[in-house]
Amino acid sequence: KKMASKIKVVLRPVKSIVVRFCPFESNVESTRKFLGCINHKKVQATNRNCEVTADVRHDGSEPLVDVMFADGERLIMKGANLTTIEMLTALGSRCNAKELKEEQKSKKKSP
Amino acid sequence: AAAAKMAALSGSGAPWRRGWLPALQFVRRGSKAVTRHWKAMHFQRQKLMAVTEYLAPRPAVPPRCLPPRKETLEEDNGYVRLLRRQVEEVFRDNRMIAICQYNSMPGEDMVMLRHYLRKHNIEVKFVLNEIVRPVLSQSKYKNLLPLFVARNILLVSREAKAKEMLRVLKGVPQINLLGACIHDTILSRQGVENFAKLPSLEAAQGQTVGALALLPSQTSSLLQRGSAHLTALLDQHIRRLQAGETGSPAEPAPAQSSGAH
Repeated sequence: KKMASKIKVVLRPVKSIVVRFCPFESNVESTRKFLGCINHKKVQATNRNCEVTADVRHDGSEPLVDVMFADGERLIMKGANLTTIEMLTALGSRCNAKELKEEQKSKKKSP
Repeated sequence: AAAAKMAALSGSGAPWRRGWLPALQFVRRGSKAVTRHWKAMHFQRQKLMAVTEYLAPRPAVPPRCLPPRKETLEEDNGYVRLLRRQVEEVFRDNRMIAICQYNSMPGEDMVMLRHYLRKHNIEVKFVLNEIVRPVLSQSKYKNLLPLFVARNILLVSREAKAKEMLRVLKGVPQINLLGACIHDTILSRQGVENFAKLPSLEAAQGQTVGALALLPSQTSSLLQRGSAHLTALLDQHIRRLQAGETGSPAEPAPAQSSGAH
């Protein structure tokens, strides 16, 4: 019921996102919409340094989203059976968690 | 107070009507009919309200259990028909059609992209999936159907300038090339890149001609090898005779040797 474009994701802790899919397959719809939502102005504005790359192949592999975070963590989402909203909320929740951790760290450093 | 009223009415056997006169006040002290606080209704009014409560009509069978209603097809909008005709024209006229995924791009970038592509005679067209899908499913381009999901644009052109198109698209990260249909052949992204790397038509033709002419030229050189060898030997012989014997006619010697063979 929620529109995929309304979900706000803060991309600050993210270093790069690679979206890989094969457009001639039939299970790529959610991954393509995910790519479209990530490339929205407002989401891109949260972090200008984040590189979003789209890897278009034709080898029948399943759609994949590979997110590299700034602290070295990696999130791999296989979009074949996921919806766009699920992927966006998963990414958003992880980003928020990392933001909170960084805020707490910065608060501890500067009492 | 109500009991007092009833007693007053029914008492003394006077020929009064049953019921009560609503003008008579029941309550001695306190609130009027219309109050700011919530006032309890008269019991008979309460009964009336309870009896006349609204009951929502419930269908005997919940709608889930019924067989699904077949949705009536929408009439063909004139606008939809026009757009379909335009898409069909596009597919008929142009020899190169590239399909790209469109992620939102700032306006100036879009204008610059259109400008650069126009220089190479490539047009940018925005398409709606719901229009393109029925057109494609009826034409011979059925394999392009799975491409039309999410926002897409078409880059159409009469000549197939893949190299320039790829160069322009490399500068724009928000447009991803998904596939193309060049000269009625469906190509994937790798196919388009390979197509761009191919040499031009004249060079390809020259290469083919050269390859085809290689074998016959070898055959002809093989066939002529014998007589060429003979002529070379004779020439050498002539030169040796001319160099060795000054004045003696060199003609009979080669005539004899050619006569012997």
